[in-house]
Amino acid sequence: MVEPTLVLYGALYEKAVEALEETLRETGARYALLVDRKGFVLAHKEALWAPKPPPLDSLATLAAGNAAATQALAKLLGEVRFQEILHQGERIGLYMDEAGDHALLLLVFDESAPLGKVKLYGKRAAEALARLVEEAIANPPKLNLDTEYREGAKALLDELFGN
Amino acid sequence: MSTINFANREINFKIVYYGPGLSGKTTNLKWIYGKIPEGRKGEMISLATEDERTLFFDFLPLDLGEVKGFKTRFHLYTVPGQVFYNASRKLILRGVDGIVFVADSAPNRLRANAESMRNMRENLAEYGLKLEDLPIVLQVNKRDLPDALPVEMVRAVVDPEGRFPVFEAVATEGKGVFETLKEVSRLVLARVGSGA
Repeated sequence: MVEPTLVLYGALYEKAVEALEETLRETGARYALLVDRKGFVLAHKEALWAPKPPPLDSLATLAAGNAAATQALAKLLGEVRFQEILHQGERIGLYMDEAGDHALLLLVFDESAPLGKVKLYGKRAAEALARLVEEAIANPPKLNLDTEYREGAKALLDELFGN
Repeated sequence: MSTINFANREINFKIVYYGPGLSGKTTNLKWIYGKIPEGRKGEMISLATEDERTLFFDFLPLDLGEVKGFKTRFHLYTVPGQVFYNASRKLILRGVDGIVFVADSAPNRLRANAESMRNMRENLAEYGLKLEDLPIVLQVNKRDLPDALPVEMVRAVVDPEGRFPVFEAVATEGKGVFETLKEVSRLVLARVGSGA
């Protein structure tokens, strides 16, 4: 059964954004994203002081691809998975942790953020977000998508691709 | 792309271009990227080797627009076609909503088409999916080759029962590229809320 990805919205979305906001405050990171394993952005937050982030779709897709590859690598080595991934450049670092089975937390930080805090609060945020994602999966919102939606989407397809 | 209002309801779909090595999957995405107006597409990402063979995937996000309050987006991916890259190919199929199988019309690639289809079936099975579970569109590419095999012959090898819609294409010239994408998008959307 193929399901479209319907991302968090409503109260769960608000809670996820709050958690990301809090994590930014506690860690001093630039950007925080909750991304699903398919590479779709579920929620994101940028620190006000931080420069404009790179395209988030690209960030999310590459991170999800990276996490998938790393997990396959872990399996090859006899582990179920590596829990957290840390990429550290000269100035910018990327912290990735699992938010449950279906999502990932990404934190982008620079040298102004202490790594210990990033890891400590990143781990906590990942656990809190995992619970939100579980809740969203357990209680999928009523979509009420019907013929009207399909007709509307078809019209947009015609507009974009021509008849 | 960073101003998306996620408080709005949003639906995302993942479409994967599958097929044997050098059949034209990346060429399809490049053509689409070149023709879709700014504002409706994100950045295209290619993880390729120096000679431009896809190593991990290509990625292109497309915005369809808003339908009944639902922001609707397609993420297009290609897989690396070369036989020995199956580990990464499998990863990209995760969560796929629709597939375009790009077959090569060259006589010496007929067997590669069949191999790739078999490989796709096996990889999908690892996610608990059968071919019937997904919208799949067959694109018979490289129709401009002087020795191109008849479409029916290519189809008979990858889709002997004739279950998938077929489109002829010359992806380097854009022929059949949008038609293929439109059909798979249509099929994917038709499943939304239909309970199928």
